[in-house]
Amino acid sequence: MDFALHDEHKLMRDMVRDFAETEVRPSAAERDESERFDRHLMFERLAELGLTGIIFPEEYGGAGADYLSYAIAVEELSRVCASTGVTLSAHLSLGANPLYLFGSEDQKQRFLVPLARGETLGAFALTESGAGSDAGGTRTTAVRNGDSWILNGSKNFITNGGDADTYIVLARSDGSAEKHRGISAFIVEKGTDGFHFGKKERKLGIRSSPTMELVFDNCRIPACNLLGEEGQGFKIAMITLDGGRIGIAAQALGIAQGAFEAAVNYAKERKQFDQPIHQFQGVLFKLADMATQIEAARLLVYQAAWRAGNGLSFAQQAAMAKMYAADVAMQVTTEAVQVFGGYGYTRDFPVERMMRDAKITQIYEGTNEIHRLVIGSSLVR
Amino acid sequence: MKKLLVCIKQVPDMESRFKVNTDGTWYEETDLAWRMNEYDEYAVEQAVQLKEQLGEAELTVLCIGPDRVKETIKKALAMGADRGVHMTDNESHLRDPLAIASMIADFARQQDFELIFTGMQSQDRGSAQVGVLVAELLGIPALTTLVEFAYDQGTITAKRELEGGSRALVSCSTPALVTCQLGLNRPRYPTLPNIMKAKKKELASLPVTDLKLPPAQLKTAAMAPPPKRGSARILEGDTGDVAAQLAAVIKEKM
Ligand SMILES: Cc1cc2nc3c(=O)[nH]c(=O)nc-3n(C[C@H](O)[C@H](O)[C@H](O)COP(=O)(O)OP(=O)(O)OC[C@H]3O[C@@H](n4cnc5c(N)ncnc54)[C@H](O)[C@@H]3O)c2cc1C
Repeated sequence: MDFALHDEHKLMRDMVRDFAETEVRPSAAERDESERFDRHLMFERLAELGLTGIIFPEEYGGAGADYLSYAIAVEELSRVCASTGVTLSAHLSLGANPLYLFGSEDQKQRFLVPLARGETLGAFALTESGAGSDAGGTRTTAVRNGDSWILNGSKNFITNGGDADTYIVLARSDGSAEKHRGISAFIVEKGTDGFHFGKKERKLGIRSSPTMELVFDNCRIPACNLLGEEGQGFKIAMITLDGGRIGIAAQALGIAQGAFEAAVNYAKERKQFDQPIHQFQGVLFKLADMATQIEAARLLVYQAAWRAGNGLSFAQQAAMAKMYAADVAMQVTTEAVQVFGGYGYTRDFPVERMMRDAKITQIYEGTNEIHRLVIGSSLVR
Repeated sequence: MKKLLVCIKQVPDMESRFKVNTDGTWYEETDLAWRMNEYDEYAVEQAVQLKEQLGEAELTVLCIGPDRVKETIKKALAMGADRGVHMTDNESHLRDPLAIASMIADFARQQDFELIFTGMQSQDRGSAQVGVLVAELLGIPALTTLVEFAYDQGTITAKRELEGGSRALVSCSTPALVTCQLGLNRPRYPTLPNIMKAKKKELASLPVTDLKLPPAQLKTAAMAPPPKRGSARILEGDTGDVAAQLAAVIKEKM
């Protein structure tokens, strides 16, 4: 057994951390406050560093690196700004990866290559107002009409929505088929007639990442924009989300790490009763627990990524990693605010933002309850 | 085709918590994270820029040390160096600057490098001697503490940083060696695709055992952190005086 990272992983971690510290951190609080997505910083710069197509082969515009590299990149970005972390995660594993896994060669050339190069931004649209955890409840429809498909309906809570150029959209293409079998996946480009953006969500956290409603009003797309086979959409979505969870798990891990480091530094500086507060066992024990939880989460996340990168089954491990890392992120950020006392509750220190950001990791890409359900039912099957 | 060499060192992350080792002459190496010496990042960047300017040139990166220094060589390869040379030496941290310089000079002598780049000093040992000694051993000029660099047809024109913020304009003809100061340029990020491509570049290992090294001239007797004292410096005088003093301090540190 070997727990050592390769030199390439270490070099890329240093590179992403360097970039995150010098370029991303300085505006993180302001972007959160003003709910501002900075496409140049949060996406185009990532493209210049070769991060927008980490896991895809070079012939498709990627860097030819592994899932662990991807997890490390999302972790390091989220350590300073969870919004930047999720921008990359939603783009790469939700927007681009289904094209890599299920796209035809022609679709890969047309859509995956520019996504991987970071010339276009990707998004993935499954959730609807009536279909959240129950994704099979999709009501958006797709009707075949000659050489086209016509989409009607709406999707909500779509990360990168509005700014993204390429959308993977799940819609019901066969109303008479059994619930999960009647769904297909489609590629929809921004600017297509009948494709509009609805409301932009005003959120508790990851406020610098846009979350938007998509509206399809007789939106006509060419038949060749069907991704995979007709009726395969639900399966495509579930497999896509298996990989996506590694990204969200890494995001949660990064948020926890960032809050933890801030708490340790503060505990060394802040004095009460004539001594640094880390000398109070009540504070020190908190730090010890945080460090241990983060280490455990990291091992789960890296293991899931390592399995994915080595062609082993990883759905279960990714679900466990996402669920556990998200809970750790919530606990660690909450305790980090506690270590900061009243100052932690203000916007003058980053732990307040990190605690708000952490919450979403327990909700999206499958709520933690759904993960417990899935993991649990596999145990007694 | 012109040949260029950049010599780099791997040092601990300066944010590490250092512990003096048991014999009291160096730091404990366990649990440290390792980085490229910061000065050397400027040296690599300048060398890569020159290579790009020349179009046709081959840039070799050389690093002496134990196996772990390969990671740092790979960083230089990812930044744009063409081939790496690792002089395998588990004792490198015990050697004096002349010994290290002799190893580099022995390697460089058989090749004819148009230009050799080094950092001005290392962040851990800080002797600022290695580059200059290499130049001396090779019998070529050394330009030190560069903050600006230009090369045109065998002539280097450069600015050196002097105390108190002034600069000296110097020039010499190649072959030559330059030592690079912080701020000389903006070292590029090794992008992920370049990190991946660096895996395929040549990285040769040379054992140092075959080399004849000069006897050590310097030996570290003891190393210890400085005694703790207040780091504040209190400026006195009226407001105008204090402002002028403060401006002078800032100017000196920049
Ligand atoms: C900021 C943000 C970004 C998002 N980005 C995207 C995106 O890019 N693409 C996309 O498609 N979606 C996205 N989503 C949607 C997200 O994945 C859903 O919100 C999530 O799946 C939960 O669905 P829901 O909100 O409808 O909650 P519901 O499904 O209504 O759940 C409500 C509560 O009931 C619980 N619950 C539901 N069913 C069960 C059950 N069977 N057993 C136990 N408990 C249950 C849930 O765990 C939860 O606590 C995003 C959401 C947010 C908030």
